Amino acid sequence: MRLKTLWLGAVVVLMAPAFTIITYGQEDTADQHQRSAVYNPYPPGILPPNLNSELVRVEAEIDFIEARALARWKALTPPTLTNQPPILANTGTEAIETLGELMNYDKNISPKKNAACSSCHMPYVAFGGPIPSVNLTMIAYPGTEHFRAGKRTPQRYTYSPFFPVLQYNQTQGAFFGGNFWDSRATGYKIRNPDAEQAQGPPVDTQEMGNPDTACIVYKLSKAKYRRLFEEVWGKDSLNIKFPPDTPRICATPAGAAVFGSDTTPVKLSPEDRTRSNNAYDHWGQSIDAYEQSQHVSPFTSKFDAWLHDPTKNPLTADEKAGYDLFRGKGNCNSCHLDGRSTAPTPPPPEGTAPNGEDTGAIANSEPLFTCFGSSNLGLPLNPRDAFFYQTKPDPYGFTPNPIGFAYRDLGLGEFLRSGYGTWASPNQSWRQYAPQEDGLMQVSSARNVAMVPSQCTGGTDAPGPYFQKEFFHNGYIKSLKQLVHFYNTRDVYPFDVTSGHCPAGTTEKVDCWPKPEVPATKDMTVGKLDLTDHEEDQIVAFMMTLTDGYTTPYPNSDTYAGTCMTGGSAKTQGNESLIPTPPLPACSPEVCGLPPLPLPPVP
Amino acid sequence: MHLFHLRECKPSKFDWRLTMNVLHLNLTMRVMAMILLCSTAALTQLSPSTQKVASVRITGGPAIERVDPNSAIITWRSNNPGGSPQHYAVVYYGTNPGELSQTAKSSIRLNPTHSYTVFRVWMPNLQPRTTYYYKVDSMEANGNSDGVQSPVKQFTTP
Repeated sequence: MRLKTLWLGAVVVLMAPAFTIITYGQEDTADQHQRSAVYNPYPPGILPPNLNSELVRVEAEIDFIEARALARWKALTPPTLTNQPPILANTGTEAIETLGELMNYDKNISPKKNAACSSCHMPYVAFGGPIPSVNLTMIAYPGTEHFRAGKRTPQRYTYSPFFPVLQYNQTQGAFFGGNFWDSRATGYKIRNPDAEQAQGPPVDTQEMGNPDTACIVYKLSKAKYRRLFEEVWGKDSLNIKFPPDTPRICATPAGAAVFGSDTTPVKLSPEDRTRSNNAYDHWGQSIDAYEQSQHVSPFTSKFDAWLHDPTKNPLTADEKAGYDLFRGKGNCNSCHLDGRSTAPTPPPPEGTAPNGEDTGAIANSEPLFTCFGSSNLGLPLNPRDAFFYQTKPDPYGFTPNPIGFAYRDLGLGEFLRSGYGTWASPNQSWRQYAPQEDGLMQVSSARNVAMVPSQCTGGTDAPGPYFQKEFFHNGYIKSLKQLVHFYNTRDVYPFDVTSGHCPAGTTEKVDCWPKPEVPATKDMTVGKLDLTDHEEDQIVAFMMTLTDGYTTPYPNSDTYAGTCMTGGSAKTQGNESLIPTPPLPACSPEVCGLPPLPLPPVP
Repeated sequence: MHLFHLRECKPSKFDWRLTMNVLHLNLTMRVMAMILLCSTAALTQLSPSTQKVASVRITGGPAIERVDPNSAIITWRSNNPGGSPQHYAVVYYGTNPGELSQTAKSSIRLNPTHSYTVFRVWMPNLQPRTTYYYKVDSMEANGNSDGVQSPVKQFTTP
């Protein structure tokens, strides 16, 4: 009897791992089925018809640039580690920048090996969004799992490394720094917001969607450029014992029901988990090095050339007029700092500024055209945003946005509360300021707002040939003309309607602006600038001088393999894509019910 | 009369990479000449606070920019108050000219290079066909008033 029990026991013990293996095997099959399943909760017309072919185009462009980056690595003389403290002498800078570049174009980092960082950030648009039809429609870009998508436009990389660690300035009563539209990549720990930003998309459910930061490190350990990583960050920096189920886990998108709330499904020893965390910090730092480099943020615009030598590199009459308006009647440089002196023209009696000639010395020879802060411009809710529609579970049992149109984008305010759809805040003393920051989004550097592929000689605006971009955090604005017109006339043509419901006889974005998504904190510095139609055009002309690649070609600006668009008018560009905003439910308590509450309440 | 404390700025090369290297502990070291910047918050190009002026005087308005049945925008011009660039335009109002107990305030960014500032306040949640009395003020980010002497004026919503 006992022997029988023993045999039975032995069989059970032996069967257990086999059963597990069988279970894994079944899940592998299910995974393969799910890999081909598409998540499409969108009503007809929300996704652009050419989405799949455009995603394929971008993937091919990435392969092309990756090959260039690999050649760059091949030509690199390995740096010599010397000095105390240790320094990678001579080619250390080139090494880390090359490493960051290789990471940026590596599609294998994503669970389905189809999304690199650059899938949503391509060099020919200053590392902003590369698909015109997405810019016209769904706003956010599909992640590894098609077609999950986020809620905001992909920001340009250029000059993002210069944002400081997020800080609250008591005297100014405002936040400065951080990366992302809502400043949630504070840089509090690795002391670099841009490096921390690079740690976001790889594990964002809507983007690359890795379920564990260790997955990125696992992919680095298998990467073609592993040796370069180890040259820069240390010989044993990727020596981690990954368990055998790592490939299967890392091929499953984050948020899948099978993971529950576990954010470390790759079970590493404590020492290996620390090593993996350190390597993930180095991932961010390497990408930051690339973004700060001459390959991304070179200060080679026409404006830079003019600052350096205005005689040799003159601005045209319209560009100069636009610049005078930018810092005068347009008042753009109150937030988009242009580095001019703080000495106003001597007044009789109260000053000829804002229209006066600024005769002060340059305070900053490489101005960044941002104050590094945030502002609520009073943009309307954009019902085209893909985020609103992802209310059903995907094939992995994950529902990206259960509250649908009850979502409101409170930007910095939501982050300060560690709220819905954002990160945890590392500083509880900031939470009290949330209501004054509701609806505030990062002040982008105006540099490269107009960068497009070189073959689209008309720039961003119709009639072109132009490259269709999307502007601001929710992509509501579709041309630079509309952008300036919004600042100029937001409060001249206000209507108490949502987008898509402008009254008969008016044209949305021309003489009808729908109401703001978050009205209470709307900044009133802008909204009525009294600019004429021609003056608006001149400001657009000036903004185009902020595009890199004037003094030396911008790297990889020649890699766009798509087409440019022609026809139409910049004033109404994209209006054919407007849809009526559905009746909006009140803001969900998950967004608007976190103390301290938005004051007054968000409609 | 100079409204701002003027300091002579000598332009010279400013290497942002050095600044960020120092802040971000980059591997390489480069030494270049640093520029003496005019602003106090030099390194990260925060928009600088300027010296507050002795007195803030309204030079235009206050006036109605627009009035609708349920909202209005009040605007006025004053000399640039200085202080924190983050400022607020404030309206104290009510239906009784002796009791301006309600407040509306809007975010305004000062421009240190401008000698005057346009202030605008958006006033929501008004009643139609109602006469409102109001006076205006501006304040710094910390809530300190700029001490604007404003007349009491009125408007009527349609």
